[in-house]
Amino acid sequence: MRAKRSDGQPKQVDFDVTAQALAKAVYEGDVVNFRMLFSPFSPAREDSPERFDTPKYAYLLPDGEMVEQRQYQQCLFAVNDIETKAHTRKELEANRPAQLPSDLILLLADNAVRRGKYTSAAEAYEMLRIRARMQQEFFAQADAALDANEMPKAVRGYLIATGLAFDYAAFPEPLPAVPNFQTRALMLHAEYPDVPEKCVAMRESESLMQTALAYLLLDAAAAARLEDKPLETRLAFLVELVKRRDPQWAKFVERYRLACATWQEFSDQLERAKTESTLVEDIENLLAEDAYRIPAQLLGRAIESGEWWQYLKEMAYEHPPSVLFVARQVVGQEEILAPRYRPDSPIGKALGLLPDSPEGA
Amino acid sequence: MSDEGYVDYFKILHLDEAAKPGEVRKNYKRMMKELVMEIASVQITEERRQHYLLEMAKLNAAFYVLRDNERREAYWEDRKTVIRLEEEWRKAAETNAPDNDARHRRFDARLRDFLSDYVEDLMLAAGRDAECVEASHWDAAHARHASRLLRQYRQSLNQKILERLPYYEVTTPAIDWRERAQTVASILSEGGG
Repeated sequence: MRAKRSDGQPKQVDFDVTAQALAKAVYEGDVVNFRMLFSPFSPAREDSPERFDTPKYAYLLPDGEMVEQRQYQQCLFAVNDIETKAHTRKELEANRPAQLPSDLILLLADNAVRRGKYTSAAEAYEMLRIRARMQQEFFAQADAALDANEMPKAVRGYLIATGLAFDYAAFPEPLPAVPNFQTRALMLHAEYPDVPEKCVAMRESESLMQTALAYLLLDAAAAARLEDKPLETRLAFLVELVKRRDPQWAKFVERYRLACATWQEFSDQLERAKTESTLVEDIENLLAEDAYRIPAQLLGRAIESGEWWQYLKEMAYEHPPSVLFVARQVVGQEEILAPRYRPDSPIGKALGLLPDSPEGA
Repeated sequence: MSDEGYVDYFKILHLDEAAKPGEVRKNYKRMMKELVMEIASVQITEERRQHYLLEMAKLNAAFYVLRDNERREAYWEDRKTVIRLEEEWRKAAETNAPDNDARHRRFDARLRDFLSDYVEDLMLAAGRDAECVEASHWDAAHARHASRLLRQYRQSLNQKILERLPYYEVTTPAIDWRERAQTVASILSEGGG
């Protein structure tokens, strides 16, 4: 049954407007808006009281600039394909859940990948039942790029492939997996490093490399694909990966070096004091104030009454790779985050963290 | 028609449908003992832990369901029903019958119930059964770890079933994998993203 307009006339939907809205969703790789347009309350349905011409649905329609884009026009062309258009109209008129046109969903998924909207792409590919195979295709071409030493392409391939992952254990329904660096960072630092092996940053290069790749790719299986590559190749891959995961890495490096200097100063003062006095604890407490500045230096701002884990989570959010080069440390009466690296580590050096390495990754 | 995806507890215990409760118990005890010995003989990694936990949960559930006549009959009946509903919906989808949608909804609801009951709920319930606890040493920590694992297992079964079903939510896509490979290559060459 057609919905009625406020003036009592039956509602009529101009398909050209619907086509523009669909084309916009496809162009933007927005699977949520695309599905919404087919839902029972969609403004594209004549039996729904919702209307495109109300301000709340303005976001569904393209603006003047978008209309001029060649890629948008290609999407509009695909929406207006005779068969697709007929199917779309039929589904919008039917009083049942709509069957979405798969050719548009495929186009939408590819556009979503291009725009870095991996969860949207994963959902769209999953609807088409090709998500896992698309992931494999990205991995395969990324591996080929890696063998050809085309690092940016290889890293991009890995990021897309892992970005298309699905979490089948999500509750209540499977969902695209999402980056969760904050949780993963806490897991990396769950145990207090009372021996150096427990400290991520102090591990041997091989071990640190594996941890870093698994953490930054958010997928241990993807990291394992790189295991048999030479360390230099993985190092180049990691440097590129850090750049992609954290475009602001150079800013963190600057702060990291400052924090290292503060830590060094604190350690030197403590060492000197230890040789002069036996009241080591009292001295450490006196000097600790200096060390307490370190977490704020690392993060770039102070958190009021911030615990080490609060700083860690914030750092994981703002600079995901940063948490690989810090450690929990009890100083005086408090536990703080302090910078840590192995002076002989090629990883810290390549990422610009060591005092004598070139700045930035 | 394939019944893959509909958990088959008889198959898990290497039994046929006519197996007597005594055989169920005998096979369960033997298989659980073998599993426990295998676990004791290998180095446990995270992957293996998950694998063994799932195997243990499956054996426990199979024993818990099949040793009790009432539970066993209800399970087998539910399994047959959901398989029949799949078959009926398939036929309706192939012929584009007018009750296609209603049949799909009926099958979908039944499938969800079946997998939820017999994969998640029942496997956890079996872990609280005294006989299962005694044979498998299943405890609260196992149950805690298993809940996510079982959800994943349920979804993997769901996927297996889904993959052989007609497309419902979207029209059947025409995928040309050569074109897909070219698209992937062009996306990787574009940069950005």
